[in-house]
Order: sequence, then structure tokens, then C-alpha cells
Amino acid sequence: MTQVLSRVPAFAVAAVTILLGLAFAIVFMEQESDVAVISLVALAAVAAWLGTRAGVADRVSAAAVERPGSIALLVAAAMLVLIGVFVEDHFPLLMLATVMIYGTVALGLNIQFGYTGVVNFAGAAFFGIGAYTSAKVVDSGLPAILALPLGAIFAALIGLLLVIPVVRTRGHYAAVVTIAFSVLFKTFLEVNDTLGGPQGLSVGSMKLFGWDFGDSPTFGDFEASFYLNYALAALVMLALVFVLVRRLERSWLGLSLDAVRLDETGAACYGIGIRRSKIFAFVLGNAIIGLAGALYGSMQGYVAPTSFTFSDSLILVAIVLLGGMGSPWGTILAAAIVVILPEKLQAIQEYRFLLFSAVVIAILLFRPAGLLPRGVRHYFPPLRKGAEP
Amino acid sequence: MSDTLLSLDGIAKSFGGVRALNDVSFGVDRGQILGLIGPNGSGKTTSFNVLTGLYRPDGGRITFDGAEITGASPQAVYRAGIARTFQRSRLCLELSIFDNIMVGNHGRLNQGLIHNLFRRKALKAEVDAAYAEAMALATLFSPNLGDAMFEPVGALPMIERRRIEICRALIAQPKLLLLDEPSAGMTHDETHQLMSDILSVRERIGGLSIIIIEHEMGVIERVCDRCVVLNYGEKIAEGSYQEVASDRLVQEAYLGSA
Amino acid sequence: MDLLGQYLINGLMLGTIYALVAVGFTLFFGVLDVIKFSHGDVLMVGAFTGFTAASAAAAIGLSHPLAQLAATVVFALAGTAVLGAVIAKWLILPLKTAPRLNILLATLMLGTALREAVRLFYPDGSNPKAFPALLPTTAWQFGNFTLRADSAILVVTGIAVIVGLHLVINRTRLGLAIRAVAQDEETARTMGINYTLIVLVTFALGSGIAAVAGVMDGLYYNEINFGMGLLLGLIGFSSAIIGGLGNLYGAILGGFLFAALQMIGAVAMPFASAYKDVFAFAVVIALMAWKPTGLIPERSSDRV
Repeated sequence: MTQVLSRVPAFAVAAVTILLGLAFAIVFMEQESDVAVISLVALAAVAAWLGTRAGVADRVSAAAVERPGSIALLVAAAMLVLIGVFVEDHFPLLMLATVMIYGTVALGLNIQFGYTGVVNFAGAAFFGIGAYTSAKVVDSGLPAILALPLGAIFAALIGLLLVIPVVRTRGHYAAVVTIAFSVLFKTFLEVNDTLGGPQGLSVGSMKLFGWDFGDSPTFGDFEASFYLNYALAALVMLALVFVLVRRLERSWLGLSLDAVRLDETGAACYGIGIRRSKIFAFVLGNAIIGLAGALYGSMQGYVAPTSFTFSDSLILVAIVLLGGMGSPWGTILAAAIVVILPEKLQAIQEYRFLLFSAVVIAILLFRPAGLLPRGVRHYFPPLRKGAEP
Repeated sequence: MSDTLLSLDGIAKSFGGVRALNDVSFGVDRGQILGLIGPNGSGKTTSFNVLTGLYRPDGGRITFDGAEITGASPQAVYRAGIARTFQRSRLCLELSIFDNIMVGNHGRLNQGLIHNLFRRKALKAEVDAAYAEAMALATLFSPNLGDAMFEPVGALPMIERRRIEICRALIAQPKLLLLDEPSAGMTHDETHQLMSDILSVRERIGGLSIIIIEHEMGVIERVCDRCVVLNYGEKIAEGSYQEVASDRLVQEAYLGSA
Repeated sequence: MDLLGQYLINGLMLGTIYALVAVGFTLFFGVLDVIKFSHGDVLMVGAFTGFTAASAAAAIGLSHPLAQLAATVVFALAGTAVLGAVIAKWLILPLKTAPRLNILLATLMLGTALREAVRLFYPDGSNPKAFPALLPTTAWQFGNFTLRADSAILVVTGIAVIVGLHLVINRTRLGLAIRAVAQDEETARTMGINYTLIVLVTFALGSGIAAVAGVMDGLYYNEINFGMGLLLGLIGFSSAIIGGLGNLYGAILGGFLFAALQMIGAVAMPFASAYKDVFAFAVVIALMAWKPTGLIPERSSDRV
């Protein structure tokens, strides 16, 4: 099989895989019964395993390296189709939008510890900062669209408060600072009445150039779910952040960040500013997380402390690890799995944290590289091995 | 411009109760190759670490190219024109050969945010140029490296890794190169070849000064203009190879007193 | 005055508990360079084990509080010691060569798994359990200030455990082996020390001590719940960090310091005692900014 595959252009293999994935996603999201869902998951797992054995995974990776732009466009188109299929249904669109928002957050986290090695166990807190900013902005009468950049800015600024201890310390010490902040954040929200206390605040809908995201778009006869607005916005946001992260990785800056993560001493001896790099990664990552949070708050319609706990931060970190550290595609895939699977398997709702932890432990023990491990850095495609970067 | 490129005066460094360096002074002239030798634990690598800003000296002064660099950060030392290799190979194993060499090139590449994120065409041109340079340098040391430019370094044998480390230091076009036991783990022939390659690069760069820590005396004898011998953190001899080799104190340090 | 005394005893009590938890963290870090985030939840399992033992003892007719207490402590200790060793053998040691972040995450996830397992599978696990009052409740009066016997016993026990640990680490061959392994694994191995055994023993020891803390916590507050490990673990960890990871006395100091911070926070803001945790953690963060490697600096281990 591998022989046959190696003769087919990698891009064709990747395209077919993406189309199959799209078909699977459509069917999967339609399912209601637990039996159907579990069967499909099993089917997907088997298909993935067989595909890897047959060399499909390698060809797809090769395609992603050779023609990343085309692959990205194809995936984006697939996402649009997926959104289109469910355009009238609230819940699937909400899920898709959530996947893309979480994917964006995870990309931000990736910059922090996938590339630079700065651990951040307060991802949910910065996400929450963005969401609460959204609530306050809409409340105060400012143009709602400002919520997004303001969410990013506030997350970045508050992150700066932590930056000195985070940057001055190594590994586990930085972890403790962000964990402490995460716990502190939730407690702070709960006891603070101006921020709604334990009940939280309601958030008005996003408005873009007069178009209220709370309104359902109508096309002739049929009325789409208002979540369509958010899904499209999330797709645009994810696409932009994805491009940003991609470019960052494939540049001298990305190289410096990796060097800081892998060997601080060596990096310092070659002129790389350790603190500067870490601060840059931490602030940029938090800004992205805050941005996503602002959209999320608006979409949910309310914000409350229980959505932004330490356990939620753990889930975010796990998404990055599950997908493969430093691998943007892996991150997005992992976000999809982590968001959609528990929602679909209602029977295991109660057990989802338990199962989730077990799965992550299993991955860490047996496949720490994650689902779509990161490859070597190629600055500009197309690549011919040994010929050009 | 004086002939003296680097000057260490009275450097002292202690760790807890241990005196790693005690009143160590030596210098390197422009274009000179200095051998830093001595038994294990005599303070050779510690001198490098103090020189490159990884340790702060407890006393003494370091002057480089007319400017004082005592206590400067490692980044400042690099910017001043000093590049080094490490006794225990310090490469980023999961990164490609090209990436590792480009770490050394950090100072000569445009690290601006706008340039890297938004001026992609200009960045590509820079990447291509850097690639050509890295290829030329790497293939000089080993033709195999050319084919493996985008393999992760971790997949390569130790010898190739050492060569890559040296490429990383050389691509920075430093004024002073610090080599810490470059021949560790190599056979005689490989060492000989390595030193020839380093010397030929030196000729092209024009007058690169080198301080080399070595245990293989053949290397020292062949390439060094002068030697400094350390023992228990103190300088016990200085001079040409012949002079120090015949020095009684040096012989005792290595062989023990009769 | 009376109130101050109350705060003082409370602080001492909490400080002892935190110190016991912190000591575990620091032992694990010293020996294996690892942060075992599941420590707090292991402690919780210990408290539940003890609780089960006490209930079982009562059920089979051993209603004397001393017998119940003995059962509680013995089973809690044994249970967590075994659990700690099992975790070390099957999770920590296999991940020794993996990047630091992996162990961090694995133990965090394990902690979550333990928490959820108790919540889901222990009978009525999601609700707090009333821990029986097994200690004498006589109270002594010192002027305006009331000292309860159970508080005193707990504090004294806690300190005794700490002193005991100090003696084991510094005066026994086992302690010597532990210190050797903490300093340099390879050399310890070459000197004939059974590395794996020592690691397992250290983890068992640290976990057992945490179990004592868990039981103490249950006895003091007369209640245990499945979530108690999370906050306690975080506090224990912060305490260990404040004192400098790897330093036994630093961990103890850190534990008492954190308790003091909480007390100060509670006293300073009596209107919103919930803020005391915010205050304490904020101070921890600030302390980390000032002294990144803890009040008693960690020994640097990076050779160039």
C-alpha cells in the first residue's frame, strides 16, 4: 500500500484525507445516540491506525510541508462547508464555534510553551479576562466590536503583572506562579461583586458595523441560526491567528524561541535575550487567549467564575500536549476532539474529567509526541530534501 | 589598534568553599591561537564560563578589543565578537542542522518583528543567503552534512554534532573563537582533519583568534602559537609548547611528582 | 486576646498541616527532580482511607475512639504509602527521561483522576463526610484563652512527625541513602545503593506523611471532602517553593509562613475572609518575583 501511495502526489492524498474527514465530521455531528457515536469514534481510531500503517499520515505530513498554503485553504474550505451544512442548527454551530475558539486559545498557549517553554497553567484565567472584558465593554455602551482588541489588551496587561516571576524562574517555579494566579483569579471573581460574584455577568452580543451578532441572518426563505455569525467570526479569527503563529514559527524569531526552550545557556551565549523572548511569548500568547475569550463571552451571552477554573486551564494545556507541542494542526485537531467528544457522549458526561485524565496520562506514557507531532522547521516551501529551506 | 585582543587580569572565582580560579592572568593577541591546557578540574572550562559571562568573576578584569567586558552578560560578550563551543555538546537536538547553525548566526540576521512576520519576501531572500553560507561552511567539515541539512541533529553521530557546533560558532564570524575540547571522542585522523578545516576557515575569515582547550597535545603542538597551563585554578606556566612541555611544574601537574 | 490566641492556634495547626504536605513535595523533588502534583489528592485518598477504616472499625464493634484512631492512622498511612510507591513505579519513573512538562501534566492529570474517582465511586462521594471526633475534647483555660486538647495533640503530633522525619533523614542509613540519591543518582548507584528501592521508599514516606496531614485535617475540621486535596496540594507546593525546593527545613518554614499569611489576611480583612486565599497567593507570587528560587535558594544543578 505504501508503495502505491508513494506514487500518488502527496497533495492528492492529503486532499482526499481532508474530504474524508469532512464527510466523517458531518456524519458524526448528526449522530445523537451514544452507540452511534462510540461506533464512529472506534471507526475513526481504526482508520487512523490503519492509515498511519499504510503511510497515509506520512504523505499528508509531506503535503503539509510542501504546500502548506493550499492545505490550509482546503481545510478552511472544508470548515465552511461544515458550517454550511449545519447553518440552521444552533447546537452544532455553537460547538463548531467553540472548537475554533478553543483552537485559537490553544495556539496562543502553543506560542508560550510549545515554542518558548514558558509554562502557563492560567490559560483559562486569561480566557476569562477576555470574556469579562467583553461583558464590561458591551455593558458600558462602547462599540461592542472593541471588546475583542480590549480583551486581548487586558489579558496581555494583566499577564505583565505575572511576567516578572514567570520569567525569572525556571520550569516548575513558573508553573506555581501561574497555578497560584489561576486559583487566585477564580476566587477573586467569586468574591467581587462588581464583576458579578459567583453568578457572573450577562454579556450583550457582538456588533460589527451595525450588524448585531444576536440576529439570525436570513437568506431569502430560510433563517440561519444566529450562531452562524459567531462561527464565521471564529473561523476568521482562527485563520488569522493560525497564519500569525505559522509565520512566527517559520522565522528567525521562532528559532530564537525554540532555542530558549531547548537550551537557555547555549541560546544566551549566542546573543538571544532569554527574558525578552519569554516576555514576548507570554504577552503575545495571552493577548491571543484574551482575544478568543472576548468572542467566547459574547457568544455564550454570560460569563461566570465556574467557567474559568484551574481544571479548565489544565484542559487547555492538555489540548496542546494531545495535539503535539508546537504543532498548529495537531492543536486544532485536539481542540476538536476535546470539545466535541464529551458533548456527544452524554452518557459519559459525568465521567468525562476522569476519562480525559486517563487518556492524557496514557498519551504521556505511550505517545508523548502527540497526535500530529511537530516536524523540522522549513522556512519557506516548496521543499526538496537537501536542496532548499 | 593594539595587538592585544583579549586580556584577563587577576581573575578569581570561587564556588562555595572551592577556589576554581585564583589570580589567573593571560592574554591573546590578534590572529593568535592560544592553547589552554592543564589536568582535569584545573579551571579551564571555568575560565571560558567566566569569559563568556556565564559566571561572574569574584575579582579581576577582562578586556576585549579595547573594551572592558568584566561581568558582561553572555549576550553582550557574543555581540562583542566572542563565540564558543561547549565541553558537553550543547545543541538543540530536535532542531535541524540548519536551525542549529543559524542560532550561531543570531547577531547577523535581522531579528525585527515586522521583518520576520510581514516582510516575507525579504525574509526569504535572507534565508536563502544564510542557507548558502551554512551549506558552504558545513560541507567544508563534512560532505554528509550537506544532505542532512534538514534532519534533526539528534539523529546524527557525535562527531558530526561536534562539527556542527563548530560551524555554529564560526558562522557568527567572531573575532575570538573559544573551543572547549573540540576533539573529544574523535580519532587521531578525525582530529587532524578537524583542525585543518578550522585553520582553513580561519584563513578565509582573516585573522580569527582562537583559544583552544585540549587534552591531545598533538593538536596543541601543531596549531598553537602559545600555551597557558592551569593547575588547581592557578596559572603555572606560559610560553610556547616546547617551553611549557619541558617545564618541571607542568610535568609534575600532569604526571605527579617523582 | 482570646481571638488572637484562637488565630495563633489556628495558624499553628494549619502551618503544621501545610508543612507536612510541603515536606512531601520537597522530598520528591530532591530525590527525583520531579513535582508530583497529585500529592494533594493522594493525601485526600489517605484521609478517605482513614475514614473508611474508622467506619469499618466502628461497624465491627470497635467503638473505642483510641481503637478507631489507631485503625484510621494505620490504614491511612499504609494506604497512601502503597499508593505513593505505585505512582512512583508506574508513572514517575517511566517518565523520568521525558521533558519536565510531561511529568507535571501526568501528575496533574493523575490528581484529577483520583479526585474524580473518589467523587464518582466512593459511596456518596460528592458530599463531604463527617469525620468522627476521635480525640479528647477537654479544654483548658488560660485566662481568657481556651486551649482544646485535640488542637494541642494535633500540633504536637505534627511536630513530632516532622522531628521524626528529620531524624530519619539525618541519622539513619536510609536517610543517608535518600540524601545520596538526591545529590547524585549515578554516584549513589555506583556506591551500591538500590536506586529504585530508595525512590519507592521516599515516595512511600512522603505520601505517608501527607496521609497524616490528611487525617489531621479531617480530625481538626471534622470533615473531609473529595476536593480537599487540590487546595491543600497547591498550598503545600507553594510552601515548598517559598522555602526553596529540595530543602527540608525550607518546606517546613514555608508551610508555617503560608499559614501566617492566611491568618494575616483573615485578620486584616475580616469583612471578606474569602480574600485571605487571594492575599496569600498574591504574596506567594510576589515572593517568587523577588526570590525566584525560594527564600532558601535551590542548589544550582546545571553544569556547563
